[in-house]
Amino acid sequence: MTVEVLAGLSRPIIMGVLLGGLYALIALGLSIVFGVMKLINVAHGDLMIFGAYFAYALMTTWGIDPILSLTMGIPLWFGLGFAIQKYVMSRAFGISMEAPLIIAFGISLILQSLTQIIWSPYSRGLEAPYALGGISLGITSVPKTYLLSFIAALVVMLVLREFLRRSYLGKAIVAASQDKRGAELVGINTGRVYAFAFAIAMATAAIAGVFFGLTFPFTPTSGVGFLVIAFGVIIIGGLGSMLGTFIGGIVLGLTQTLSGYFLGAAAQMLFVYLIVFVVLAVRPQGMFGR
Amino acid sequence: MDVDRNMKAPINQLKLMLPVVLVAVLAIFPIIGTPRVWLLYLFLFFVYLTMANMWNLLAGYSGLTFLGPGALIGLAGYTLVIVTWNDLPFYLGIIGGGIVAAAFAALIAVPTFRMRGIYFAIGTLVVPEALRYVFYLWKPVGGEMQGGGAGYMIKGIGGLSLTEFYWLALAIGIVSIFLMRIILRSKLGLGLAAIHDSDRAAASSGVDVFRLKLYAFVIAAFVTGAAGAIFYIYQGYIAPVSAFNIRWLMICLLATVIGGIGTEEGPIVGTIIVVFLHFLLARYGALSLLIQGVILVVIMLLVPEGIVGLVRRKTRNYQSLLQLATRR
Repeated sequence: MTVEVLAGLSRPIIMGVLLGGLYALIALGLSIVFGVMKLINVAHGDLMIFGAYFAYALMTTWGIDPILSLTMGIPLWFGLGFAIQKYVMSRAFGISMEAPLIIAFGISLILQSLTQIIWSPYSRGLEAPYALGGISLGITSVPKTYLLSFIAALVVMLVLREFLRRSYLGKAIVAASQDKRGAELVGINTGRVYAFAFAIAMATAAIAGVFFGLTFPFTPTSGVGFLVIAFGVIIIGGLGSMLGTFIGGIVLGLTQTLSGYFLGAAAQMLFVYLIVFVVLAVRPQGMFGR
Repeated sequence: MDVDRNMKAPINQLKLMLPVVLVAVLAIFPIIGTPRVWLLYLFLFFVYLTMANMWNLLAGYSGLTFLGPGALIGLAGYTLVIVTWNDLPFYLGIIGGGIVAAAFAALIAVPTFRMRGIYFAIGTLVVPEALRYVFYLWKPVGGEMQGGGAGYMIKGIGGLSLTEFYWLALAIGIVSIFLMRIILRSKLGLGLAAIHDSDRAAASSGVDVFRLKLYAFVIAAFVTGAAGAIFYIYQGYIAPVSAFNIRWLMICLLATVIGGIGTEEGPIVGTIIVVFLHFLLARYGALSLLIQGVILVVIMLLVPEGIVGLVRRKTRNYQSLLQLATRR
């Protein structure tokens, strides 16, 4: 009896962990911006979807493989992020508390309508020959795209973690997020650090967009729902910690697949949002936050 | 002194008369054969104005950057469905919509007011997203075939025409303007101003921060819900995707920010511009959104105080110059 239950549960658990990887991948960029600038970049989901569409355009016009297209996507998004922070957001921070939030909202609106104009509101998907079908993981078989996203999330998370720990720029970003004035006193140009942090966040959004597009079909407005999920991930994972974000993603992924398993597919997203809301209400600083 | 008073009297009378005349003219519009399209855009203007006014009360005056107006509007719309499907008159649906929205606001106030600033904003952004899934699953009225993702028709409004919708919208628009005037000049408004500046300082000087925020939130929710129900009487149809949509937030946000957040006249000016944009760009769906987004960013960067704030600053400079000149 219990063996059967466990065998039945193994699939939602494995799927949940893998899905959580994708959620973490989406949330990493949001987490960096939130940690450093205390800004919820509400355009993050849309920037990710925009990345998926960019890869889609390259795939359909020149037949470039989506993952390979990241060699163009990452630098482009990096530059885009740098420019947004340097020319738009940095000014917004000087205006008022709400100004950056409202401007990010405006950017989200611009991106949504831009993707709609260029690629129509219909649902699209990314394809790659090696990402089709499933792969057996011993007990159960999972879609290859889930596994790919999970691996990508793990790699991006570890690279970011080492970058923040070891490189000068990474250390400067951490310093600026902990104490802005203190960082300025020891000679860190926080304006530049902010721009780099935003740029790095955008580069991860480009990566997340490609793996998201390989896993799920997307429309120009898909970003909003995943922004909320990504926000839930960093709230559960706590601020600034890359590993925490990863764990947060897995918690939400498991929540979704397990509630889908027990309560039916229609209820699973409701449950995810409910968890996000409850965690926000009980521990707004995050489960692992200080 | 006497001369002064005599000179002021006619101006005050004019100030009083102007809105009355304006409202009277607006009220007779449907009777004198104004084109339907005009009435339609005026209807939307009053509904959006009401929502923007209430959003301004929260975000501009109470320090509550509330990102979930769609939750209130959607709930009110579904209340209207439940009321009219039970063969009750539509006006009970409007009142009921307001009450349900207000009750829901009171319910979520307890957990969300614990969150500060940006956390409150995102916490309230989650609410309509979650509610949308609730109404995908929950079918309050009708059989298996209705409701869910397909949505509901609103019943019992067959006898109503655009004229009645228009008057309803006009009424709630005026109510929202007067409500703002009354609230801002009351003790509640004073307390909210203190909270907006610094909630800790307000609390330490004896302002019951939670209660005042709750009052503002519940009042705003009631009026927003009623306006939402009026919108759905006109629309005649409701579905989860459009009801719990971020579009509502956009309308409130755009109208308030363009006009001037935290100013009384701001939402009026902003809503005029938003509805005019809708009118101009009605044929270009996505392009309209793009332009609105650009306007939002540009206004926020260049004129964060909005049009009303800008005009006020300019005229203040001008007036002080004038005063300097005339005193000599």
